[in-house]
Amino acid sequence: MKRTDILARVFMVLVFVVLYLPTIFLIALSFNTSAKITFPIQGFTLDWYAGPLKPYEMNPSYIPIIHDWQFWNAVMISLRVSGITAVLTCGLVTLTALSLRYRLVGRDILFYIFLLGFVTPGVLVGLGNLLLFRILDITITEWNMIALDTIYASSFGFILMMSRFDPDLMLYEYTAAALRVGPLRVFRHITLPLIKWEVLSAGILGFLLSWGELIRSLWVVRGTGTVSIFLFVNLGVYPLTTKWFAAGTLLAVVSIAGLMVMATILSRGAK
Amino acid sequence: MVKHARYLLLLPGLITFIFFLVAPLLIIVMMSLYTPVWPGYTTDLTLQNYIRYITARQFPTLLSNTFFTSLLASAICLMIGFPFAYCYSFKIKSEKARNYITMFLLAPFLIDWTIRSVAWISILGDQGFMNSILLSMGVIGEPIKVLFTPTALFIIWVQTNLLFMIFPMNLALGRMNPEVIDAAKVLKAPPYRVFYEIIFKLALPGIICGFIFVFVGTISDYITPSLWAGGMQTIGLSVSTYATQFLWPQASAGGIILLIVSMAVLYILLKVVDIKKLVYE
Amino acid sequence: MLKSNCDFSKRIFLRQNIVNLIYCIADRRTFRKLYISRTHFSLFLNEARGNPHLSKMIEVKDLVKYYKKVCALNKISFEVDEKVPFVIIGPSGCGKSTLMKILSGVLEYDSGEVYINGKNMKGVPPHKRDISLMFESYAIFPHMKVFDNIAFGLRMMRKDKDYINRKVAETLELVGMSGFENRSPLELSGGQRQRVALARSLVIEPPVLLLDEPISHVDYQLQRKLMEDFKILHKKTGATFVLTTHVQEHALTLADAMVVMNTGVIEQIGTPEEIYRTPKTVFAARFVGDVNLIPGEVASKQGNNYIVKTEIGEFTCTTPNSREAISPGVKLAYGIRPEFIDVDSKGRTCDNQLKGKFARAYYFGNYVECVFDVKGKVEVKSAVPTEQAINLKLGEEYSLGWNSGNVVLLESPSVIEGLNIEEVIYGK
Repeated sequence: MKRTDILARVFMVLVFVVLYLPTIFLIALSFNTSAKITFPIQGFTLDWYAGPLKPYEMNPSYIPIIHDWQFWNAVMISLRVSGITAVLTCGLVTLTALSLRYRLVGRDILFYIFLLGFVTPGVLVGLGNLLLFRILDITITEWNMIALDTIYASSFGFILMMSRFDPDLMLYEYTAAALRVGPLRVFRHITLPLIKWEVLSAGILGFLLSWGELIRSLWVVRGTGTVSIFLFVNLGVYPLTTKWFAAGTLLAVVSIAGLMVMATILSRGAK
Repeated sequence: MVKHARYLLLLPGLITFIFFLVAPLLIIVMMSLYTPVWPGYTTDLTLQNYIRYITARQFPTLLSNTFFTSLLASAICLMIGFPFAYCYSFKIKSEKARNYITMFLLAPFLIDWTIRSVAWISILGDQGFMNSILLSMGVIGEPIKVLFTPTALFIIWVQTNLLFMIFPMNLALGRMNPEVIDAAKVLKAPPYRVFYEIIFKLALPGIICGFIFVFVGTISDYITPSLWAGGMQTIGLSVSTYATQFLWPQASAGGIILLIVSMAVLYILLKVVDIKKLVYE
Repeated sequence: MLKSNCDFSKRIFLRQNIVNLIYCIADRRTFRKLYISRTHFSLFLNEARGNPHLSKMIEVKDLVKYYKKVCALNKISFEVDEKVPFVIIGPSGCGKSTLMKILSGVLEYDSGEVYINGKNMKGVPPHKRDISLMFESYAIFPHMKVFDNIAFGLRMMRKDKDYINRKVAETLELVGMSGFENRSPLELSGGQRQRVALARSLVIEPPVLLLDEPISHVDYQLQRKLMEDFKILHKKTGATFVLTTHVQEHALTLADAMVVMNTGVIEQIGTPEEIYRTPKTVFAARFVGDVNLIPGEVASKQGNNYIVKTEIGEFTCTTPNSREAISPGVKLAYGIRPEFIDVDSKGRTCDNQLKGKFARAYYFGNYVECVFDVKGKVEVKSAVPTEQAINLKLGEEYSLGWNSGNVVLLESPSVIEGLNIEEVIYGK
């Protein structure tokens, strides 16, 4: 291997180490016996995951994960919100990206509106939506969160997807149209299979972005809220203990496993 | 018929965006022009919200905090992210390795941001990893205070936003025809000129895109500076403070000023390169 | 010392360099802008010493290149003499592009040696070599206009603006794209892009210019024009051109020396005439000109005259003296090119004759390729002048004749081992 290649790999590994440093510590320290966050670990225990529930313990900082129903509630809400956002992002980005390839009237203006979605600071989006629904006197539900996350993710996904479209895609569509295939069938049999990886990645993007979304969601939250909100609120109120590290580790392990599975699927799939 | 169908495809996106994005923004603009009368507001149009906001004592600090920290964070992300994207696109040959790298870049996202930030306490804190090691090795006499300083802020911001910088750059670099680089070499261009003229210029849309992503992402994040930089005040924080007190007109004015800052940077950057080129011809 | 034994082209070449030398000595500031490479200079010295001996410009010895496990180049060795137009011909995928890239320094090789003007090029990066390459895929810079694309090389050599403007305009006119300076490459057609890529490599006037399929996507008239221009440029600049192509006509027209390549090996090296007249393998015979092949066996031999027995009869062949002798009993392919077969030659005696039924015809404008079916076993092609071809009727039997001096005997199907000659002729 050439010297530059070795240098490149070292650099990338370094970046990864720095990126993963908190995660590593998260996992390591979640087995700490003491509740206080210290380094190094004082003892090894799994209590924070599956330990016994002390009776009358009301402080969430001391409830092991397995018994913390509020946490699981938040996880369910997160999954629901992120899942729906993923699906909606898929659909929205695909339709819009496909349609903007054609030279429509006012294409540039439309492009900028979609760009607005991520250029607008989250504070404004949240505040604006809050005010909007107050004025219209509609109750804010989970769907508001979903909508905001979808818009944010769509703006990203839109740019990322459009630039990954195969330039021959339109050619295939025209060919099919010339062969007198109806537009709907063209879409189903030609366009969709060719862009399925881009669509998939738009969905993944939607899921990921909405999972970690905090600022916009804070404004339109009702009830417990997603995991992000749950953790944010609780860590602001209750003391920081190892229990939260355990929560984070759980999320970490699940997410890494899930992504590894996807990586293997995608490696077999396409580019 | 087909032509109109294309407009139809556009419709769901357009409606969603107009309702959830454009309309709220318009409302904020309107609200910022209303007169605040305790405890609410009247619909008389006025500019006093803006004037009060700008002439407030803390405004210059607020503005510089918001603007310069985001700019610096974006610059740091650029300096780390571009070499990374370069290595990813040109030095890694196997497709499988690339997929795995992408996944490992994405994974931390699913571990909620709050907890990741909190984990830094165990590393940078007074009893944390870094200080323990440095103390035991005798390099320093007493623990270095990193937490709750701007340094911690940048570390956390870079960690959260590096991904946003890397992805557009990977995209731009991935579209490059590798033979173009060879062509420059045989046209007698020394390596540094190959890099500047070809690689850098072709990657520029991606770089600008990534910069915008990171800048906007950090400018709207008011929680991190206030928590981790020792209570640093940003414009976003003031908006949030006003809003929790139901002082809508003031909050809206602050928000619009934030938007103007964001738009100004965007405008300058887009003058450098036409971002539409990254997306369609 | 310089006058008498130099011919015209050399004199121009020398005069240019003398002028440049004086210019640079006179004005130190512009010294950097002068591109006298080591190669130019050593050539100049060579001439100045009154040495008319042509040196070897490119030498390749036992070059081997593997792509993962596939062998792209298997011990390639050849030499390119200075100022000799050199063409590498071969089918797609035979390794021509790989060879070009290795010569220009863009690609690494596994073993072997590459010398350019006598210097070993191991470890020398492309921008320090006196060699330029035009890519098969054009590799035009998409973010620059046509003018900037072409001017790129000159800018890297730090020439001044007037020089650049002038040179770019000249070269654009040469390739026939004079009005295109401000166009974006994305707006150009394939042929236009090819010409821009060509102009880009030509404008820097390198001592050695490698061109990978330079004129394949251009229309016929422009191809002819560009081939003429290559010849003129070659005389004017004294540069060494190495072209690759898969089109025979280009190779035969342009080359003074040729290499026929086949999947990583060299089938034959020589002048076009040599390869055309005395191909060494079936592959070379087929790739340079067309040939009718009939499998057979040597029945007897008398000096240079052979009698070959085939399934459709016995035929004679007279080989040139330079060819090595073949013993009787050897199985080989009896080859006769379509242009040497006369149809219905009344009054002309031919050494060999056949009767064949006129099966098909292919119109080529100035001649017609007629396919004759001989006894249902073999098809023989003949190139018949159009006036004569009109009078031929399909399905009728005609007599075909040829002289034994025009026959080639091919013992091996290809340099690559393990191929069966009959399989190669008839296809698997």
